Amino acid sequence: MRLALPKGRNLTTALDALRIAGLDLADLESGDRRLRISLPGDVEVLLIKDRDVPLYVSHGIADVGVVGSDVLEETGDDTLLVPARFTQGTSRLSLIGKSADAMPSPGDQVRLATKYPVTARDMLAARTWGAEIIELSGSIELAPLLELAELALDIVQTGRTLHDNHLVELETIRHVAPCWVTHRAAWQRHRRQFNDWLDRFTAAGLVSAGLTATGSEGETA
Amino acid sequence: MRISVQLPTGVAALFGESARRRRRLESQIATRLETADFDEVVLPVVDYLDPYRDMLSEQSRQELYRFVDRDGEVLSLRADFTPMLARLLAPRLARLELPLKLFYRGDVLRYREEHLGERELYQIGAEVLGVAGEDAEALVLRQFLELLQLGAPRPLGVVVGLAGALDPLILEHSHGKPLRLAGALLRRERAVVEAAHPVLAEVVRHGRPTDPDALGEVGARRLKRLIGLVETLDNDFPDIDLYIDLAEFADQATSPELRAAVGPRAYYDGLVFRAHGGDAAWHLGGGGRYDNLFRHLGAENGTVTPVTAAGFSFDVDRLAGGMS
Repeated sequence: MRLALPKGRNLTTALDALRIAGLDLADLESGDRRLRISLPGDVEVLLIKDRDVPLYVSHGIADVGVVGSDVLEETGDDTLLVPARFTQGTSRLSLIGKSADAMPSPGDQVRLATKYPVTARDMLAARTWGAEIIELSGSIELAPLLELAELALDIVQTGRTLHDNHLVELETIRHVAPCWVTHRAAWQRHRRQFNDWLDRFTAAGLVSAGLTATGSEGETA
Repeated sequence: MRISVQLPTGVAALFGESARRRRRLESQIATRLETADFDEVVLPVVDYLDPYRDMLSEQSRQELYRFVDRDGEVLSLRADFTPMLARLLAPRLARLELPLKLFYRGDVLRYREEHLGERELYQIGAEVLGVAGEDAEALVLRQFLELLQLGAPRPLGVVVGLAGALDPLILEHSHGKPLRLAGALLRRERAVVEAAHPVLAEVVRHGRPTDPDALGEVGARRLKRLIGLVETLDNDFPDIDLYIDLAEFADQATSPELRAAVGPRAYYDGLVFRAHGGDAAWHLGGGGRYDNLFRHLGAENGTVTPVTAAGFSFDVDRLAGGMS
């Protein structure tokens, strides 16, 4: 079985889940820079960017992956199964500005910096103000600070980065959590193994209940 | 003008062994189907969009390659053989001698953002019309499994389910959001489904309820018959793993409330199945029963003879990928 794990903020949750699943992670935690690591029990781990996890899983390169619900919503890949949403490593996707009164008024047209253009367009569709979306790949907080944009849409975890840069979280758009994803063929092939792991996650309190996997309240099949 | 070998995203040219492999497998499948008394039909690659309009969800509309003809008609490139065949045959059914066994082959085109390299698929498929419903299901699934063995990578697996089997439970336990619950089943979101109903939780976990009677009288009868069919086919096809999984087809709704929102991929109303092979994530092919499609595409005036219909198709290049 091949697992696609994210190198960023969700790696800690992914590793905790694998420990709970009973995998021996010694080789993975050796601190070297390999991106493809074999574990005991015929398991191979790929360390890749969070945004690439859905692609690796949906193309069958990996059987399972851990990826943020923010990325799942942004990529909109409806072929993936999302059996678990973790309670650990949660964050929120929020509108950010330089001050509490930075939220646009009805009819305003502003610039919005983000690495989530699809989510931003969805969010804007329900607003009374408009925005030109400026797509950036990182350090989104700099955009309102340096007046590249009036607003930013980005992940807020502890709020410390915002505080240190004198920015304000204006509104939470989505609650975000790392998710356990797989593809349909792998689900059938490894169902027993997956059920066992998912039972362990639940028993350890690592899996949340009630929300849809992406945290969305939307009425979609 | 700059000359480049670059092709549009999602399409491929086949040269040498790749081309031979496709033609070899296509020929083998066609020969087997002809031997089993299937007649070939040749269908156009372009059709009017209008007859299919009310079957399209927003997503499936976006998947179509559409354009306006010189006379102003909206046309689309073929995205699926079965609805086109149903549209063309439904008005002729009264004059045709049933049962009818047909097969087709050719390209289908679908725009899929997240499936690079998979916008043009070469398919070969077969349809059986007018065989008593459940016999037709057994016939097409058996034929599908026989052809699947011709080329697919190993191990082979086929997921089977029943369209609409979960609809009553979904509608009753979704708190007014049936599509959301159907989506959670489809994505195997355990926490959401467990919160909705224990029987649905069993379906996510094991593919079906421990007690078929939990699906109600009709659902239980259908599931018991499916279990019997799968047991028989398990013995006849030991190299193929057959899985019953009702959650896999939670979007194949038969209730009007769910069906209206799901769109054209929901045209199945009985048995549904899909095959996969090797380590690949994609399906090699699939099919099922779709009696209602004929009523929908040709029965507006109520004159069309009700007919049972079932069929399957393979994506030939995916299937050929496993040939040595």
